[in-house]
Amino acid sequence: MKSLKRFFKRLFNSAARRIQEERLREEIAEHIALQTEENLRDGLSSVEARRQAMLKFGGVEAMKQDYRAERGLPFFENLLGDLRNALRTISRMPGLAAVIILSLAIGIGVNTTILSWIQLIMLQPLPAVSGALNFLVVEPRTDTGGYPGASWLEYRALQMQLPALRDLVAFEMVPFNVGEKGQTERTHGQLVSGNYFSALGLKPAIGRFIRPEEVERTGTEPVVVISYDYWQTRFRGAPEVVGQKLRVNEHDLTVIGVAPRGFQGTMLPLKFELWAPATMTPALLGGARDLQDRTSRAFSLIGILRLGATREEAQTEFSTAMTQHARDYPEASAGITGEILPFWKAPRGPQRMLMTGLAILQGVMLLLLLAVCGNTANLMLARGSTRQREMAVRVALGAGRWRIVSLVLSENMLLALFGTGLGVALAVWGTTALRVAPMIGAFPIQFQTRVDGLTLAFAILLGVACGLIFSAAPAVHLARLDPQEGLREVSNTPPRSRARKVLMAAEVGLAMVVLIAAALFLQSFRSARQTDPRFRPEGVLLASYDLSGRNPNEASEREFAARLLERLRSLPDVEDAAIATNVPLDLHGIPARTFTVEGRVRTEPGQDRATTNTVTPGYFKVMGIPLVEGNDFAEMRDKAAPAQAIVNEEFVRRYLNGADAIGRRIQTRAGSFAIIGVARNAVYNSFGEPPQPAVYFSYRDVPAMQGELHLKTRSGNETALTSEARAVLRDVDPMLPLYDVRTFPQHIERNLYLRRIPARMFVVLGPLLLGLAAIGIYAVVSYAVARRTKEIGLRLALGATSGRVVLQIIRENLGVIIWGTAIGWLLALVLSLRAIPKGAVDVPVFIGVPAILLSVATLACWIPARRASRIDPMAALRHE
Amino acid sequence: MKQKTDVLQGTLALMVLKTLDVLGPLHGYGIARRIEQISGDVLAVNQGTLYPVLLRLEHEGAIASEWGASENNRRARFYRLTREGRKQLQVETQGWEQTAAIIEKFFAVKTGDLS
Repeated sequence: MKSLKRFFKRLFNSAARRIQEERLREEIAEHIALQTEENLRDGLSSVEARRQAMLKFGGVEAMKQDYRAERGLPFFENLLGDLRNALRTISRMPGLAAVIILSLAIGIGVNTTILSWIQLIMLQPLPAVSGALNFLVVEPRTDTGGYPGASWLEYRALQMQLPALRDLVAFEMVPFNVGEKGQTERTHGQLVSGNYFSALGLKPAIGRFIRPEEVERTGTEPVVVISYDYWQTRFRGAPEVVGQKLRVNEHDLTVIGVAPRGFQGTMLPLKFELWAPATMTPALLGGARDLQDRTSRAFSLIGILRLGATREEAQTEFSTAMTQHARDYPEASAGITGEILPFWKAPRGPQRMLMTGLAILQGVMLLLLLAVCGNTANLMLARGSTRQREMAVRVALGAGRWRIVSLVLSENMLLALFGTGLGVALAVWGTTALRVAPMIGAFPIQFQTRVDGLTLAFAILLGVACGLIFSAAPAVHLARLDPQEGLREVSNTPPRSRARKVLMAAEVGLAMVVLIAAALFLQSFRSARQTDPRFRPEGVLLASYDLSGRNPNEASEREFAARLLERLRSLPDVEDAAIATNVPLDLHGIPARTFTVEGRVRTEPGQDRATTNTVTPGYFKVMGIPLVEGNDFAEMRDKAAPAQAIVNEEFVRRYLNGADAIGRRIQTRAGSFAIIGVARNAVYNSFGEPPQPAVYFSYRDVPAMQGELHLKTRSGNETALTSEARAVLRDVDPMLPLYDVRTFPQHIERNLYLRRIPARMFVVLGPLLLGLAAIGIYAVVSYAVARRTKEIGLRLALGATSGRVVLQIIRENLGVIIWGTAIGWLLALVLSLRAIPKGAVDVPVFIGVPAILLSVATLACWIPARRASRIDPMAALRHE
Repeated sequence: MKQKTDVLQGTLALMVLKTLDVLGPLHGYGIARRIEQISGDVLAVNQGTLYPVLLRLEHEGAIASEWGASENNRRARFYRLTREGRKQLQVETQGWEQTAAIIEKFFAVKTGDLS
């Protein structure tokens, strides 16, 4: 209490410094006056009386110091003084300060942005849901390692069988066509279990959510909850939306409520707009049997643990339950076990892939920040050496070591602070840029990244750490300074600073590692882009349609596809048209299915798999994939031909040892197919993949509800076809929207989106890092040279040519740089060999990057060296 | 060195309080003289050390100060004991007396007394 009072008095005094100073002066004067009078009365001469009075009072300055220490807050006053001083020092070196602040800001900004992304995936897998981390994904798993999802009946049973879970929630992702005839719009929604919203603990923005009793009986409750964004954009946020009817897949659904702002469903990063009861599935999905059929594993499950229960308990219960299901319903559940996993390990969806990519990116960016620190430390050290004299004077005048350290520290911390501030601003911009929702393969994706408390704390932590790191070397250096040396030294040659050279080498080494990593990444990205996909995407327009919602059967699906193709082929600019269930290079991948093929006996356990795509006749022509053997599929309306399949060359090589494939039979779950042709290999899932075995089935034999139209233009101007294609579809079926219309090259670009973000970062950051390294080297060399003006002058005077001088300076510094480069190079080599164990070392990168780095380094040495060699020897010798 | 000042400061503070208690409001010089008269050499050389002590006591609230006129009608800062200061003086006097008594007894003990 007392000390608190003292503290506030002191704080006040700090502010009212001048008045206090005046008061003390007055008091001292009065004291001495009184004592002098006293002495006069004792009979001393006036001079002696005053002298004695002063003596008796003691050292005025020392006392004042004590008084001040008692009065104010010396620590804070010093700090304030230091900061003022630092601000002045920084403003005297605007160029240097700008380089330091900007490079720090970029380093911190990038790191913070990436962290906010990682954090989103790890810590906020369910935006707008509080306590999202308590949710676990409950995934049935096949013995071949697939995650097929759960059936509705299975879900109902599991609700009873997993007491460790407080709530078990089921949902199914569905495409919706919303709107009246002729102007439907495609959106995505989830069909959910009755406890969906209550388990997530959400509160509706307005209205109410789906009640459990509304998800009891099949098809009786046509209600829908809409997302906040949907409410805002389609209904302008009008509260009357509750109670309105929404036409969804040709059924009227009553809007009962609006989900809270930011809620985007339970399959991050996909963004959903509508939620309807799972019991509406048959109505909305055209008689889908998802609710009765145990083999229809359409639902995803997530659960939240009961208080006190552990994931292990839940896992045990889940395994027991799945064993029981496998026994009771072997046709649907044989060989299916289950896993309970935290959200960020969710096997379906992009979480896993993103996490690895982001973790690597974060690691590289932290290295980059470290290089920035090294650079800054070096610059400060170089600057510090010119301030030796100033510091020596300070020490000689009685400044303690700690005062010197705090002086240096406050300067650097201020720089770090500015850098952090700017970095946070960059991160705010970066996270906002990431929030923009692009459509990836027909699905809207949104990452709700933002700078929050945690990321802000991270940024500040980084800033402080950077400040400390790059303060350490100069502070130690200057604090160890012997004042006598420091003052005398000016005329001597400076001692070689080992610290500066080590830092320079370390920085170059780090730059080497990051640059090689960047180059390898870019190289793989670029080579992926340049790889021949072995099909021809140019001039092909893609568009999707979806018949779910209109009770299609095989015959109607086949007829629809046949009619659509006929009409499309009759368009003048269409060279050929085809429909397929999958498009290569799709982000979600093309499914691989198990099969057996005649003439092949598998020796090892497991099953043979091949990428499968179901296509109409004409597909190979549209795609530019030649058939090396056999023929294309039979016409769509051909009823006589048996079920057909076409395999690719890799299939023949891997599963038939190159033997003749034509005429053999393939057996799958869907039936038996005769191989009628062999197609050339193509790229299916990603550029640069090893050849994949593939099987194509015919739409004629296995028609599907959904289809991807492929239109090959004659003119090459595929976008011009869009409206014609829409018109054709409207003629064939006025209610059906054509969605996700894009050119094939666009499709490829879009699906490289996630890969492109890190690639772009590297493109920007690589040169930046090179620039940083160059600035660092330049600074060190030019300071070192400046300090040796006299020596250089002497040499020139003694007849050394300027060329020799330049060469010598470059040689001295390049030696250090080569060491750094070599160490970094080795490190990068080891890392790349570990990261890609089987991949060949990218020779051009491992030669090119060091070559570029070394030439830049040489240039950075050469400029100051050349300047030094041009000095007038006489002027240099007179210097100092 | 440091310890010595601490002791000095501690005792000095107590002396200041006691002086103000006995003599009423007084300026710095008056306090210094009074202490000098009684204690002799503690303040003989460094009367100035009194001022930081006064300031600390004032911060602690034991004394208060205001401007007034000195004997020869010049402006001087007068210090007076506050109620809190009086309480503090009492507590510290007691404590001091106890300590002094213990120390006294301690020194009075001869080796023979313990056997």
